[in-house]
Amino acid sequence: MIRTLLRHQWKSFWRSRNAGKSLAVQIFIGFITLYLLASAIGVGIYLQELLKRAYPGQDIIKVFCGFILYYFLFDMLFRFMLQDLPTLSVQPYLVQNIKRSQLIRFLNVRSLFTVLNLLPLLLFTPFTITSIAPEFGFPVASAFIISILALTVFNHFMILYIKRKSIINSWWLVLFFVLMGGCIAADYFKLFSLSHISTLFFSYMMANAWTVTILVAMAVFSFINNYYFLLKNLYLEDIIGKGKKKEGADYTFLNRFGTIGELIGLDIKLILRNKRPRSVAVLTVLFLFYGFIFYKEKYITEGWWGALLLGGIFLTGLFITNYGQFLFAWQSAHFDGLMAGNLRVKTYIKSKFMLFTAVCTVILLLTSLYGLMSWKLLIVQLAGYLYNVGIHTVITVYFATRNYKGMDISKGSTFNYQGMGAEKWLYTLAVFMVPMVVYWPFAFFINAWAGVIALSVLGLISFLLQDWWVELLSKAFLERKYKILNGFREKQ
Amino acid sequence: MITVSNLIKIYAGKTVVDIAALQVNEGEIIGLVGNNGAGKTTFFRLLLDLIKADRGEIISKEKNVALSEDWKPYTAAYLDEGFLIDYLTPEEYFYFVGKLNNRSTADVDEFLKSFDSFFDGSILKSGKYIRELSKGNQFKVGIAGCLLQHPAVLLLDEPFANLDPTTQLRLIKMLREMHAQHRMTIFISSHDLNHVTDVSTRILLMEKGTIIKDLHTNQDTLSELEDYFKV
Repeated sequence: MIRTLLRHQWKSFWRSRNAGKSLAVQIFIGFITLYLLASAIGVGIYLQELLKRAYPGQDIIKVFCGFILYYFLFDMLFRFMLQDLPTLSVQPYLVQNIKRSQLIRFLNVRSLFTVLNLLPLLLFTPFTITSIAPEFGFPVASAFIISILALTVFNHFMILYIKRKSIINSWWLVLFFVLMGGCIAADYFKLFSLSHISTLFFSYMMANAWTVTILVAMAVFSFINNYYFLLKNLYLEDIIGKGKKKEGADYTFLNRFGTIGELIGLDIKLILRNKRPRSVAVLTVLFLFYGFIFYKEKYITEGWWGALLLGGIFLTGLFITNYGQFLFAWQSAHFDGLMAGNLRVKTYIKSKFMLFTAVCTVILLLTSLYGLMSWKLLIVQLAGYLYNVGIHTVITVYFATRNYKGMDISKGSTFNYQGMGAEKWLYTLAVFMVPMVVYWPFAFFINAWAGVIALSVLGLISFLLQDWWVELLSKAFLERKYKILNGFREKQ
Repeated sequence: MITVSNLIKIYAGKTVVDIAALQVNEGEIIGLVGNNGAGKTTFFRLLLDLIKADRGEIISKEKNVALSEDWKPYTAAYLDEGFLIDYLTPEEYFYFVGKLNNRSTADVDEFLKSFDSFFDGSILKSGKYIRELSKGNQFKVGIAGCLLQHPAVLLLDEPFANLDPTTQLRLIKMLREMHAQHRMTIFISSHDLNHVTDVSTRILLMEKGTIIKDLHTNQDTLSELEDYFKV
């Protein structure tokens, strides 16, 4: 049974509309994975040598022992960010003649197929064989390997459990990070030493190999805990999120803009009422504080205008990049309706430009507080703003007309790569390359201010040509309309 | 009103719509019947320019629907949930559709009053987003969204399938009234032979993408259709 389900997963991967594209992405990821694995093996084999050099005169086996728990602490953090929840839509299977326990076993088995589980083995096994086995004998060496395996399994299922819990109640997320941060901080401030504990434990294990059963018991506990949680909660998803009474909203200030105002209002509601765009918006606001990183005292006094300009573009244009990379895809669920409705494509495209310009202007006003650091930043930001509303918007809408992937906006966005593809990286590259290409020649041959002015003027001109761009982009959109509609109709 | 000529749509080597010629006059109520896979929904999507025809064209009021957007102001359609904006409340959705068609909020409110019995108290002021409504209620929102546009051409894909019996009858009554008032041209696809012959003035029977029967409804139409669908 589990084999059949695994086969279904395999099919669903290959038969999705974007299989071709995600294959390219898969190959890319595959290469990176291979590289990482090769490095891990390399490090594993040379660990003995490396430790000898890094800690001359110390007992490297002791150092190694102190290192293990550290590794698994950070492993936990990485897993939280990188490890996917196995997302088989169990729903169609729930009513079939398949036992729940089988489904859960499938979900658990499926989840095990991740590089993260291979990594610790590759890192630690060579050292165990070359250094520990000769000195302490076979039983101790195998106890080591078993403990590495047990810790891996413990982390694996613990993270699945915590992630699932945090979907239901975000306090789990906070708790997890507080605990992790607490551990790291306590270690850093020497309240207790994780490496000391690690050394103690594993040294003890060398003398008493049976202690490995403690770790094995932890792994078993973590597995069973996750298993029973799933068993109880396999249908929970449907129950969450109902109840609260919803009120309609009316943005009267948008009324004077007619249909375009309506469409902007629609976008605002989309952002506020759906999980994924909402988290993009929150991220955008948080990133406004990045100014403190970009605008370094040193850069300002020494006049690193290129770097500051890039910062200005980033700050004022973040919303465009973040929201614009999925511009039409956000509305993929009702794109049929929009296109069949009484709405001209030109109006629709124009509304996107207006939305970008409006939000950008608000951000410009907010970030003008950075002017307190230096008035020159105001000019840099204004230049960035003009570039963003004039040119960045055009690039964004153009790339949006080439995006055929729909998305489910009710899912969260952390490490959610649905709707991502090579174009997205190309897009980001284009957005930040264009201003530099404009800026550098002027900055190089005349001076930095000439570069800033050149970018501003170009941005302004392009902004004044907006209606022409709208015309052009509407044509580009109409050319690919059916393809976009088809892609969006495909439920992911 | 609408002329279809040499229309062909092929999916993966299989012809799903193949209509050599079809002329629909203003004020006709077309009932589209046929088993699953006959091409009814695909035909609707072609009428709305949501998919690209492999050959042929659809002319609506002298304009090719694939080349001009002039059909949009007088055409309304509800095919599936993809036509609803699911994170809006029903009221917001109606106002939005109203605005697109130059109807003020007050106009829309006035219009919705006539829907009281159709909505049966479960749509307006329900405190829910459309995504939280049941499928049947979503359908009601979609149909009302179409009707408030006062369209000259209306497309409904299987409107009876998701509605309770009372609402089905109310819908028929409403369509008749509106048709009498505005001379709408209506396309309705349905598996409910009773209802569809009851409401339509003309029945198109589709099979594997082609129209195999084109009947003006009279008292024999129902039995003729029943003959065709007999197992």
